[in-house]
Amino acid sequence: MLLEARSLHVGYGDATAIWDVSLDVDAGEIVSVIGPNGAGKTTLINAMAGLLRCRKGELRFDGADMTCVRAYDYCGHGIALVPEGRRLFVKMSVEENLELGCYLAAARAHRQESLERVYGLFPILRDKRRQLAGELSGGQQQMVAIGRALMARPRIVLFDEPSLGLAPTIVDDMFDIITRVRQDGAAVLLVEQNVLKALDVADRAYVLEQGRIVSTGLPADLLKQPHIREAYLGV
Amino acid sequence: MAVNAARDLPKAVAAIAIVALAFLPMAKMPAFYESFIYLIFFWVSLSTSWALLSGFAGYFSLGHAAFFGVGVYTTAALTTKFGVPFLVTVPVAASLAALLAAGIGAVVFRLRRLRGELFALLTLAVTFVIATIILNTPIDGGGGVFMSAVPLPHLMPTPTGTIYILGFAMCVLTLATAWWVAHSRLGRGLFAIHDDEDVAEAKGVPTFRYKIMAFALSAAIAGAVGGIHAMYVGFVTVAGTFELTVGLYVVLMSVLGGARHWLGPAIGATAITALLYAFISGGEAIMGRAIVGLILIVAILWLPDGVIPAVQAWLKRRHAAPAVATRAEVVPVVPAAEPEISDRAILQVRGVTKRFGGLQALAGVDLDVPEGEIFGLVGPNGSGKTTLINVISGFYRLTSGTITLDGAEIGRDPAHEIARRGVARTYQIPRPFVNMTVLDNVALCATFGGPARSQAEIRDEAMHWIGFTGLGGKEDVLPPGLNLHERKFLELARALAARPKLLLLDEVLSGLNPTEIDNAIRLVRAIRAQGATIIFVEHLMRAVVELSDRVAVLNEGKLFALGKPREVMRDPRVVSIYLGKAYAA
Amino acid sequence: MYGLLALGLSLSWGLLRLVNLSHFALAFLAAYLTYELGTTYHVAPWWAAMMVVPVMFLIGLAQHWLFDKFKVNELASLLITFSFAVILEVAIQLYWTADYRRFETHYSTMSIKVGAFYIPVLELVLCLVAGVLAWGTWLWLRKTYVGKALRAAAEDADIAAAYGVDHKKLAYLLSGMGAAYAAIAGTFIALIATLAPTQIWAWLGVVFAVVIIGRLGNPLGALLAGMLIGASESIAMAVFEPAWAPVVSFSVLIAILLWDPEWL
Repeated sequence: MLLEARSLHVGYGDATAIWDVSLDVDAGEIVSVIGPNGAGKTTLINAMAGLLRCRKGELRFDGADMTCVRAYDYCGHGIALVPEGRRLFVKMSVEENLELGCYLAAARAHRQESLERVYGLFPILRDKRRQLAGELSGGQQQMVAIGRALMARPRIVLFDEPSLGLAPTIVDDMFDIITRVRQDGAAVLLVEQNVLKALDVADRAYVLEQGRIVSTGLPADLLKQPHIREAYLGV
Repeated sequence: MAVNAARDLPKAVAAIAIVALAFLPMAKMPAFYESFIYLIFFWVSLSTSWALLSGFAGYFSLGHAAFFGVGVYTTAALTTKFGVPFLVTVPVAASLAALLAAGIGAVVFRLRRLRGELFALLTLAVTFVIATIILNTPIDGGGGVFMSAVPLPHLMPTPTGTIYILGFAMCVLTLATAWWVAHSRLGRGLFAIHDDEDVAEAKGVPTFRYKIMAFALSAAIAGAVGGIHAMYVGFVTVAGTFELTVGLYVVLMSVLGGARHWLGPAIGATAITALLYAFISGGEAIMGRAIVGLILIVAILWLPDGVIPAVQAWLKRRHAAPAVATRAEVVPVVPAAEPEISDRAILQVRGVTKRFGGLQALAGVDLDVPEGEIFGLVGPNGSGKTTLINVISGFYRLTSGTITLDGAEIGRDPAHEIARRGVARTYQIPRPFVNMTVLDNVALCATFGGPARSQAEIRDEAMHWIGFTGLGGKEDVLPPGLNLHERKFLELARALAARPKLLLLDEVLSGLNPTEIDNAIRLVRAIRAQGATIIFVEHLMRAVVELSDRVAVLNEGKLFALGKPREVMRDPRVVSIYLGKAYAA
Repeated sequence: MYGLLALGLSLSWGLLRLVNLSHFALAFLAAYLTYELGTTYHVAPWWAAMMVVPVMFLIGLAQHWLFDKFKVNELASLLITFSFAVILEVAIQLYWTADYRRFETHYSTMSIKVGAFYIPVLELVLCLVAGVLAWGTWLWLRKTYVGKALRAAAEDADIAAAYGVDHKKLAYLLSGMGAAYAAIAGTFIALIATLAPTQIWAWLGVVFAVVIIGRLGNPLGALLAGMLIGASESIAMAVFEPAWAPVVSFSVLIAILLWDPEWL
C-alpha cells in the first residue's frame, strides 16, 4: 500500500474541515474522491501533500510516517501536487516553472530527460517554453502544472480539482492525461467535483460529504447508490 | 461607593495636575525645567495628533513632519515678513496644514490599493518635497529665519513662560480632542477602519470621509504645534524642522505607549522625552538615542500593541473570573404560524452584468425577491454566486443593469450607502473587528446601520442581538477568543444590528458540524420571522432544500433555473450541471 | 552609487517582504571599518573589503534570525530596523566621533583622460562594480536553481515548499547577501564620500525612491533607476539650484505611487 490515511482530522484554526477520514492508494491505482463544493476535498489533498498539518490520525507513505515530515520534504518522498487553480509561478517562464518541479537533487539529475518527456506529452508547451506562465490559457496552464508535477519523477501525483475552470473539451483531454500519468508509473489520487469524469477514470472511488467519507467502492457500484445524489443535490 | 472612588479619583488627580502645571511658570523655576516640561507638552501634542489617523485608523504616516513644518514656516513667514501678530498666525498655520492634509487625502484615499507601507512612503516623500520647496523659495531661502525679534504676547512673567503656557494649552487641547474622538462616532469608525476597512465600509462607515477628517484634524494640530514651536526655537531652519526625527519619533512614541488608545502616545512621549533629557543632563546625549532605539525594539517585539494595552491585558488577567465555558444554546423565537411572504418584491435585479477585465462573471441576471422570502442561491464553482452578492452589497460595482431595493435604485451607490438603506451581509470566513469586543462589534454595526441614537440605546440594541444569536455572556470577549460557530453567529448579530431589510448570507454553514448547522437553520428562520428577507448562498444542498422557499441555480453567470427547491433540484437540466448529462438520464 | 545601495534593499524588500532601514547604517558601518582599517592599520581598501564583507553577511544572518523568531511583519520590520540604524549611528559616533572623516588614498585623485573629460578612477570603478554586481545578481536570480527558487518562493511559498523549496534557509541567505551588498557599498562610500554619522540619513529618501522606481526585487531595475535618478539629479542641479535635486526623485516616486501602485 503506497499511501495510507487513517482517521485523519484536519482543520484551519479551530474549524475542523475533515473528520475521521481513512483512505488507501496502492501503487499503479487511480483513486478518485468526489464530493460537492465545501465537502473538504481541497483540505484533504493539501493534507496529503504536506501543506496542512493533520490534527489527529495517521498518514503513511510507503510505510514511512509522514506526520512529522516538513512540507518541503514531501516532494523528496515522491509526492507531487497539482494544486487547485494551478498555482503556477506566473511571473516566471513555462520552462522555469517546469524546472522548479525538479528542484530537488534526485530529480534534477534527470532534468533533461524529464523535460523531453513533458514536452512529448504536451507539445504545445515546447513552443511556449519561454513565455510567462501567466500569459497562457487555462488549459495550457493546467498542462504546465501537471508537467511540473511530472518533473519531480513522483511515485504518486495528487490532483486537486483538475477540471476546475476548464472548457469541457479540454476537460476530456485532462482526464486522458491522467490515465497516461498512471501508464508512466505513478499512482494517482484525485479529488473532483465532476462526478462522471472522476468515476470514469478511477479504479476505486470515495464519496466525501461535509468532511466525512460516506461511501466507497467501485465506480459502477457508487453510481447505483443514492449517496452521490443526496450529497450533490440534497434530494 | 468603591466604584465611584475608582472613577472620580483619577479625574480629581487630573484636575489638580492641570491646575498645577498651568501655574508652574509663576514659580520662577530655572528655564531649563520649563523648557523640559514644554518639550514634553510638545511631544505629547505631536504624537497624539499623529495617532489620530495613524494609530486609530492604522494608516501609518511617516510624514507628520510635513504638517509640523508647514506650521512652523507659516508662523515664521507671517511674523517676520508680514508683521502678523504671533497669536494670529497659529490658527492660520493649523488651517494651512489641515488644507494640505485634506488635499493629499482627497487624492490618495480614493485609491484602494494605496495602504500600508505605500502610504507611509508616500507621506515620507511628500515631506521631502515640501522641505525642498521651502528651502529653495523665499520662505526660507536657505538661511533660516530669525524669530527673536518677533514680539510675544505677555501671558506669563517670562517669554519662556509664555511659550510654556501656550504649549501647555495645546497639549490639553490635543488630549481633549483625542479623548473626544476616541469616544465619538468618528473614532469608532476609525477603529473599525483599522481592523478591516472593507467590512467597515460594508457596515455603513463612510471611510473616505472619516479618513480625511482624521488626517486634517491630525495635521491641524501639528500645524498649530509647529507655529508655537517656531517661537520656542528662535531660529528656524529647514534641516532642523524637517529632520527625520520628528516624523519617526512620533511613531515611536505612539507605538510604545499604545497607538490605539487616546492616552497612549502621551505616555510614550513622556517616557521617551524624559529619557532623552535624562541623558542630556548626564552629558551622554547620543547614548540617549541609542537607548531609545533599544527600547523601541524591545517594545515592538514583546509589546506589539504598546504599553497601555499590555497593562490593560495584565489587569484583566488579574481580576478576571474563571472563564465559564458554557455553550449557550440558541433559543430562537419559534413563530406560531408560517410567516406570510408578501407580494411586493423587495429586491429587483434586472439585467445585471459584471466584468472583471476579460472575465464575464455575471452575464445578465434577472431576479425578483419578495419581502419575507428565504431565497437560496446555488450553482457550481465559478457560477457567479458570490459575485452577485458582492454586487448587491456594493463591494463590486456592477458593469451594467439595475438593482432596486424597496423601490430605490442602489446599483451605483457606494457600499456604505447601500448598507444604510438596509442591506447587510455576512462573510463566509468571518471578518470580525479583531481589536473590538463582541459588544463593540455589534454596537458599531448598530451605530452605522441605523438611525442616530444615544449610546445607551445602541448598547441595548446590541445586547438584544447578542442574546438573540446565543452569544449572551460573551459580549466582553475579543473575537479570537470565540470558536468558529460563535464567530459565524457574531457575523449574524452584526448584520442584524443594522436592522436590515435584506440579509445576504455567504456560505454561513460552511465549517460547522451537524448540531451547529441545525442551530443555524433555526436561527435563520427566526431572523426571517422578524421581518427580514434573506438571500443565502450555500453549498450544503440538504440545508438549502430544507430552508429555502425558492431556489435559484446560477450557471456561468446566468440564471439557469428558479423555483421550489425540490422541483428545481430534480430538474434534469440542473442535475446535469452538477452530475453530468448521463447521470440525469 | 544610488544603484549600489538600492540593490540590497531592493532584494530584501522584494523577495523577503521586509523593509530594512538599517541597510544604510550597515553600509556606513562598513565604511567606517574600511576607513579604520585603512588609516590605523594601513590596510588597502580591497583587502579591507574582503574582511568586512563576510562580517556584514553574518550580521545580516543574525538580524534575520531575530525577525524569524518573533515573526515580525513588514511594518514592524520598518520600525525595528530603524531602531537598529539609530543604535548603530550612536555606536559609530561614540567610537569615531561626529567629526567629518575623509579617507584619503592615492586613488582619490587619480583620474583617466577620456577625450576631453577627466573621469575620476574611483567613480569609474564604482560604476563597474555596481554594474557587475547588479548584472551578476540578475543572472544569478535568473539562471541558477537557487535564484529561481527564491523567485518562486516570493510568489507562492506554499507551492514552492510542495516542490522542495526551503524558504527559511533561502531567506537567511538573502538577508546575509543584503548586508554584504551594504558592505560593498560601504567600501566605496569610504573611498569617495566624507564620513559623518549624520550622513546615514542623507541618502535614505533617494535610495527608497530608486528601489521603488526600479521595481522591487529587480537588481537591474535598481541599477537603472539609480543611474536615471542620479543623472536627472545632476541635470536638475545644473539647471536649477542644487538644492532642488531631491524634488526630482520624490516627484517621480509620488507620481508612480499614485499612478500605478501595482508597480511594486
